[in-house]
Amino acid sequence: MKTIIPLIIVFACGFYMLITFFIPARFAQASSQTLQNWYLGVIAFFVFIGIFNLIRINVDKIQRRLRDWQYSFILLFFLGVMLGAGFIGGRDSRIFLYFFENFQVPLGATMFSLLAFFVASASFRAFRAKTPEATLLLIAAVVVMIGRIPIGYLIWHGFPDLVEWIMQVPNTAAKRGILFGIDLGLISMALRVLLGIERSYMGGARE
Amino acid sequence: MNLIERLSKLDRRIIFLLVALAVIIPMLVPLNLPVDITKPVKNVYQKIESLPEGSVVLISTDYDPGSEAELYPATEAVIEHCFHKNLKIYMMGLWPAGSELGNVALNQIAQIYNKKYGEDYINVGYRPGGAIMLLSLGRNFADVIKVDYQGVPIDSFPLGKKVKSAKDLGLVMTFSAGDPGILHWIIYFHARYGIPICGATTAIMAPQQYAYLSSGQLVGLLGGLKGAAEYETLVNKKGRGLRGMDAQSIVHLLLVGFIVLGNVILVYQRRKK
Repeated sequence: MKTIIPLIIVFACGFYMLITFFIPARFAQASSQTLQNWYLGVIAFFVFIGIFNLIRINVDKIQRRLRDWQYSFILLFFLGVMLGAGFIGGRDSRIFLYFFENFQVPLGATMFSLLAFFVASASFRAFRAKTPEATLLLIAAVVVMIGRIPIGYLIWHGFPDLVEWIMQVPNTAAKRGILFGIDLGLISMALRVLLGIERSYMGGARE
Repeated sequence: MNLIERLSKLDRRIIFLLVALAVIIPMLVPLNLPVDITKPVKNVYQKIESLPEGSVVLISTDYDPGSEAELYPATEAVIEHCFHKNLKIYMMGLWPAGSELGNVALNQIAQIYNKKYGEDYINVGYRPGGAIMLLSLGRNFADVIKVDYQGVPIDSFPLGKKVKSAKDLGLVMTFSAGDPGILHWIIYFHARYGIPICGATTAIMAPQQYAYLSSGQLVGLLGGLKGAAEYETLVNKKGRGLRGMDAQSIVHLLLVGFIVLGNVILVYQRRKK
């Protein structure tokens, strides 16, 4: 029963949502909207679960003095500061905006910016034309990289047009192929879940 | 040991240093390189230009501080264009921090143009749920959005009263760094409810959007910082997009140099064997 009941719920809700997508009748749309509202409610609740989990894991790390526990302390401290600032002063308060603009934004940007250094190192060590296909990819990449910057335009005014052609023709053709493949895979996976063939979302239990 | 052999053992810290210099020097000494305008960017500009005065543009800031460097300049440029054209802005975010970033830009630019909150612009904040949120919005906009980002009832604002369904929107402009984002807007909002969508994405996401551009499901696209710089050129505003293009130009050239050098070393090593 532990498996059968969830399977029936998934089958009934999934097919109901699928059918109502094609039925414009008021009752069908209203009931489907109700199910969607339930989903939104559940998603909103996930935020609380996330915060609770974050606190639990990091408190545990501090208590057991695990490796880099000091970072957990900093994380929890600023979690408290941001929550406090938001609840007390609201999202437009000076203190909330100060921490957001001077801590969260630069730290987030720094993390992402580090990629530039690793990409540069990889471009030197890994982007090698070892096969004809790799050579073709490398040439296209170099053309796009030069054509997408103002210096490329200064070198040759035709560079941006060449880049647009690469983007619109070979790139789009490849991307469409990949997208079709992904979408067919998604449809088959959705059917497998609805029909109860794929059960890994329940922890792989079988009756 | 000859030069090529030495280069093949180049310490990666030297590469990091060169990248840092390539970013910092153009920031200190601007080159003011001219920026060419591409068709996808021109399409966004023309779409906003074509909207009648008072039309509502829904701006969705679907990114976080990690992508701020690429998408915030575009957000500023588009908000400025909308206010300049006397369009109303309805802001929301599918990412929690994106809604905050959008709010900062919106409030700053609204002050410059003397725009009034609730009348000329409104922010309904972070809206979780991704695809389901967008389907619900399209089906019953007023039922889903009842309060603004501070919890004030949406009907207490003139702009809140004006937007009762998705059909009241002239355009959706999404600033997207991933999932949920531009693909969800195209698939669930444009395809089902027919609302025109324009987008600004990180450079790495831009190639995927060309399939939707060529099919007409996406009206226009600002790809990465270059897209922001192009838009700033169109709206005649020198912002972070244009300033960043100098550094990006030098870094791109440096990367091309590294690729060429790496392959010269490869050829040399193969011949030696």
